[in-house]
Amino acid sequence: MTPDAQRDSGPATSAVSRRRLLGAVGAGAAVAGAALGAGGTALANRDSGSGSGAPTGHAAPATVDFRGAHQAGIATPSQDRLCFATFDVAPNATRADLAALLTTWTAAAEAMALGRPVPGDEGDLNTPPDDTGEAVGLSPGRLTITIGYGPGLFDDRFGLAARRPSALRPLPKLPGENLDPAVTGGDLCVQACADDPQVAFHAVRNLRRLGFGTVLPRWMELGFGRTSSTSPQQATPRNLMGFKDGTRNIDARDEKVMGRHVWIGEEEPQRWVRGGSYLVSRKIRMRMEQWDRDRLGDQQDVFGRYKGSGAPLTGHSEFDTPDFAAKSGGQYVIPDDAHIRLASPENNKGLRILRRGYSYTDGIDKETGDLLGGLFFIAFMNSPDRFVTLQRVLGAHDALNEYIQHIGSGVFAVPPGLAAGQDWGAQLFG
Amino acid sequence: MTPRATHRRALACAATVITAGLLMTACGGGKDDSKGSTPADADNAAAKSSTVKIDISDKDCAPTPATVPAGTVKFDVGNKGSAKVTEAELLDGGKILGEKENLTPGLSGDFTLNLDAGKYQVYCPGAKTEKTEFTVTGTAEKTWKDEPALVTATRQYATWVTGEVRELVTGTDAFTAAVKAGKTDDAKKLYGKARVHYERIESTAEVWGDIDGRIDGRIDDAATAADFTGFHRIEQELWEKNSTAGLGTLADRLSADVHDLYTKVQKVEYQPAAIANGATDLVNEIQSSKITGEEERYSHIDLLDFDGNLAGANEAVSVLLPVLKQKDPALADTVAQRYQATATALKAYAATPGYEDSGYVDYSKVTDAQRRVLAQAVDAYAESVSKIAGKIA
Repeated sequence: MTPDAQRDSGPATSAVSRRRLLGAVGAGAAVAGAALGAGGTALANRDSGSGSGAPTGHAAPATVDFRGAHQAGIATPSQDRLCFATFDVAPNATRADLAALLTTWTAAAEAMALGRPVPGDEGDLNTPPDDTGEAVGLSPGRLTITIGYGPGLFDDRFGLAARRPSALRPLPKLPGENLDPAVTGGDLCVQACADDPQVAFHAVRNLRRLGFGTVLPRWMELGFGRTSSTSPQQATPRNLMGFKDGTRNIDARDEKVMGRHVWIGEEEPQRWVRGGSYLVSRKIRMRMEQWDRDRLGDQQDVFGRYKGSGAPLTGHSEFDTPDFAAKSGGQYVIPDDAHIRLASPENNKGLRILRRGYSYTDGIDKETGDLLGGLFFIAFMNSPDRFVTLQRVLGAHDALNEYIQHIGSGVFAVPPGLAAGQDWGAQLFG
Repeated sequence: MTPRATHRRALACAATVITAGLLMTACGGGKDDSKGSTPADADNAAAKSSTVKIDISDKDCAPTPATVPAGTVKFDVGNKGSAKVTEAELLDGGKILGEKENLTPGLSGDFTLNLDAGKYQVYCPGAKTEKTEFTVTGTAEKTWKDEPALVTATRQYATWVTGEVRELVTGTDAFTAAVKAGKTDDAKKLYGKARVHYERIESTAEVWGDIDGRIDGRIDDAATAADFTGFHRIEQELWEKNSTAGLGTLADRLSADVHDLYTKVQKVEYQPAAIANGATDLVNEIQSSKITGEEERYSHIDLLDFDGNLAGANEAVSVLLPVLKQKDPALADTVAQRYQATATALKAYAATPGYEDSGYVDYSKVTDAQRRVLAQAVDAYAESVSKIAGKIA
């Protein structure tokens, strides 16, 4: 910890309330983070290494910048693990409570992203520690904490109606879905991604703790095995059906494509949210037992790809462009209802979204013994209508529907990144 | 670990008990505890704060200055270039009071302690000279006993607890009399009326694990069937069998245990931090055994227990509130607000005279969704109460 940050958390400020204290520490930490630069990276590498202090040869730094034009966790190369939670604002909480919490969350999130504990008093044996402690000694694991606001937050409770991002509204009923209210919706969402599940969980757990009395947790999901790559440098992972499912995802490093499809731009009347995005989450159950009994030929026809290589059925290697016009014996090689055909930009007027999903499991169904799990789909886009358009097609026609069902849903406006000294409370309330 | 074992361990710290001249300081608060300073320290001319610099090297880790006055001491520890020696500790004899470790070359860090007068050692394992003397001079740190408002608070709390246990004795005697007289319906109604007094002071009673186990143990806690005694054993028979048959001995024993508790409670000396943390334990009890319906699994009068725990926590908080308002008004507001929110959530289930005369509805009729609303209020209240101890002491 730097002297500046430490001074803020030291005895001199302990008279102020915890929330104010956290705000102060956050500001200190921001300056420290910016000033340290290379030093921070060195520290991070040390943390991720064997503990000997020797360079580890780890190419990626263990921390991701918390502040910037966009929130971390969108264009950031996908980490391996996810902890995602949504919250509702408590019935008795006020606008001031919510603003104070968002300020507190900013400071805590920034500290955690730097691999530090939640700031506060340390070592008082009569008081619970401010940080829950399970991430101490672990590498920050490129932790990113991304916040989003559900449509409900912009009702009349907190005077935010006039600041509602124009495209933010609940998703319409979509074909084939069977949504469980217990894993749907929420006033706020937190997406924590890291290479270590304990680090991601720790982040959500601590934000939840700081939120006691102001927000109520609504649902939470742990994700493993990222199911898409957001950069060609990452290998395309496989989903729980054993298929490569992110081959044609947007390369998040491509600013032009991101600007066109993902970041909210000038078209949005609400200036405060420009540079942000919309997050759509869908909890998709896979009927894994049935899928595993499907013959290989059909599995490949369902996706439109070879299971082994990941190549489209019209190609030889994974990144070959699918030829949707190719026919064999009068039939399309990539069938009419194949997943990649229906989801492709070619067949959706160029429409693209940035997928950033994870596999999940909730154990087994206690009645049938079937595995509960599948894809926790997360995608970012500059209007939720993009997802709606795609899902209307997929939900109605996708051959995959025989083996999946959408059971949970969420839509959130993700604000842009924070400037130095800015916090989520001030950003939202203006 | 069962919930029971968890809370008993925690609650053993709720009070200091003086028995036969033995002072059991259960939960810290001594000079060794490192803690953040309180606003009162800043206002208090007697409390001093110092900064001590420690440069660790292969040679040693001598502190500068080597002598400071008692009070808050911040240790700035830096490693200018030793790859071998990477930590410094402050020792009091063999006990580590504070430390900063993993300081590889170029890194620095700090830790802050409240120190009384005495001889200490700065220790950096691996250095040529591993230990250097460090002296703290002056008078002993002020304690809560120097604050009249806190002394008053502990006295108020002691008086209240004694009164509650007196009520417990009266209520239990009426209950056990009904059991012995074979009046099953009366016994069911008197059960809750007696128990609520126990629920209010549970954090104190649990200091005596054996008595608590005999009075309030659950079937899961008992090693053998014969070890399952007390309120819940009788509860099981009354509600499952709707009978008092064969409960005479158990009733006598419960009555004797409660009388024993009354005698013991009068020898308890309370510390402010222990009162505050006892309140947290009581609210945690609501969450771990009332919301779940675990406590009154046969009678389903859990909401009355909830009421008892909540009232007990509120009493503990209330005696400390005047001091808390001075030291951290924002926290005092939050605690009061969240208590109200919890009380309001509970009130939704109040009924007159209620299920088994408990003043509340049958808890088995409360849905999971409703329990969740109660739990959220309780959790928020407990979180705020858990911060009190660090502010007042």
